[in-house]
Amino acid sequence: MNVEVRLHATLTAARPGLRAGEPFPVELPEGAAVSDLVLTVALVPKEVHLVMVNGRIVHDRATRLEDGDRVGLFPPVGGG
Amino acid sequence: MERILRVNMTSRTATFEPMPEAYRNRAGRWLTSSVVHDEVPATCHPLGPSNKVVFSPGIVTGTASPTSSRISVGGKSPLTGGIKESNAGTGWGRRLARLGIRAIVVEGQPKEKGFWLLKVDVKGATLEPADAWAGKRLSEVYPALFARFGGKAKVDICAIGAAGEFRMAAAGVCFNDQEGRPSRYAGRGGLGAVLGSKGLKAIVVDDTGAKEIPLADKAAFDQGRRKLGAALGEHAITKPKGALNSYGTAVLVNILNEAGGLPTRNFREGRFEGAAKIAGEAIFAGNKERTGAELYNHACSPGCVICCSNTWHRPDGNEHTSCIEYESDWAFGADCGIDNLDHIAELNLLCNDYGLDTIETGGTLAVAADGGLWRFGDGKRAIELLHEIGKGTPLGRILGNGAVVTGRAFGVARVPHVKGQNMPAYEPRAIKGIGMTYAVSTMGADHTSGYTIAPEILGVSGKLDPLNPDKAELARNFQYATGFLDTTGHCLFIAFAILDIASGFEGTVEECNGVLGTTWTMNDVARIGKEVLNLERDFNRRAGFTALDDRLPEFMRVESLPPHNTVWDIADDELDRVFAP
Repeated sequence: MNVEVRLHATLTAARPGLRAGEPFPVELPEGAAVSDLVLTVALVPKEVHLVMVNGRIVHDRATRLEDGDRVGLFPPVGGG
Repeated sequence: MERILRVNMTSRTATFEPMPEAYRNRAGRWLTSSVVHDEVPATCHPLGPSNKVVFSPGIVTGTASPTSSRISVGGKSPLTGGIKESNAGTGWGRRLARLGIRAIVVEGQPKEKGFWLLKVDVKGATLEPADAWAGKRLSEVYPALFARFGGKAKVDICAIGAAGEFRMAAAGVCFNDQEGRPSRYAGRGGLGAVLGSKGLKAIVVDDTGAKEIPLADKAAFDQGRRKLGAALGEHAITKPKGALNSYGTAVLVNILNEAGGLPTRNFREGRFEGAAKIAGEAIFAGNKERTGAELYNHACSPGCVICCSNTWHRPDGNEHTSCIEYESDWAFGADCGIDNLDHIAELNLLCNDYGLDTIETGGTLAVAADGGLWRFGDGKRAIELLHEIGKGTPLGRILGNGAVVTGRAFGVARVPHVKGQNMPAYEPRAIKGIGMTYAVSTMGADHTSGYTIAPEILGVSGKLDPLNPDKAELARNFQYATGFLDTTGHCLFIAFAILDIASGFEGTVEECNGVLGTTWTMNDVARIGKEVLNLERDFNRRAGFTALDDRLPEFMRVESLPPHNTVWDIADDELDRVFAP
């Protein structure tokens, strides 16, 4: 299956030339979980602080992904 | 000795008074809201002679405590008709604190036209004519005043721009940053217009010859500031080269966009297709391309270790503006449908020059676009409209009075405001706790009243579902904690670290004890915050506000917001439960 991934802030370092928020496809085995995706795309997986799937924050990394999901990964960010 | 400086603009006299015993230990927002509550008739006209503007640095402002240079500005708001406290990070409040001045109270109103400048130093305070500075852009006024009064190493300056002189409800109160830029604003609520109504153009503070701030218990102070400093240095958000230092507050653009909570085109949608082009990461990358260097952010004020203030550079590498905060970036970007950072930078610069609150101004332009005055996304036209405000043309007078006035003038029902103040950059229909905070805040729609975004979106101090409606307790606790933090003189951003690292919060309380000689504990945080909120709520009640004002606008209940396609569905009695559990 394919999911659409966006990396943000310092996480973009994993893919040289990628702009933050620029979508790219990632192919994963059927039944893959959020944690599998994090291991696949992040340079340092523990830097991934927040995962959003289709606009919803997913705290449980065992959550299964589905074909066509939109996934955003973020390091710790703040502001206001 | 702690004093209050009372400036009467009717008689044009400035006199010092001892700090009243009743206000002992009060500073920052606690003190501004106390004076406004006790001295300003709640039903007075905000631009009339009975209103007052109160300035107060926080409890630890001016000491060696990290990230503590906030100045609170209070009064009755011409935008909301209720009480207002708006604060800014600048060296100005530090100098005031070092002079032993706990507050400046500006009152009265001159009978004749004209503007005056107040100079405050160790010798006292004097007023002088300032008509020569009126009508000029603040980027001209500040360098001229620095030259006249000895430079930015010696003085800091508070001033109003043309918007304040025109007594527009979107006018903020400007302070300079460490480079002397007129860029740090107590922006919200139109207090610049109140200063304009009193003919007070500028306040220059020179602390040459001032003594260090006395500490009642130096050991407690040092222990507290070290614990806070350690927390700020350790936390991923506030540490050097962390997210705030690298990408500035605009790092939030992408995350709110992804969460479907980035208000777009006057709160019609929750995602902006141009978000990545205007986000903090794009600012960092654009600066690198144009200057050839990785530019990390700077401190807006002395003693800040977070350093979140950015600059934006023109194609030739020269600086265009500072600072493009998340709120400003969003207000002129997503909310106006503009995805061009150069246009956003120019709009930001013009607000700094004309003395305008960027949130209210961007929100107003968005309402005006909804009303057909211009097309969303047309940055060049937005810039022209901002000049109308700066020139004070009849159209500019409408726009400069904010989103509600503009919505009425152009027949727009979709005006995203509470109590007359335009909403900031978080969508209530997608993030329920911040919506509840907007609704019940004493300030009108204000994210800094209680930044529930931390647990609802950012995963700081908890991990909550933003769409879960059960947020009354959260909205209450965050507002009380903020009432305390706004009293200490610390920037609200220390909350990211101290909400996660308990010793940092203890340190914040211990520092206050070190300055004041008090024995406050963590239990006093909520007590003091509640006292601040109670003063403000009592003022608003006497000004005519009821529970019916603690509501979001109707369109949010009937228009569903993509991408989650949710409406505002919090029951009214749930809102009333925030402060009456």
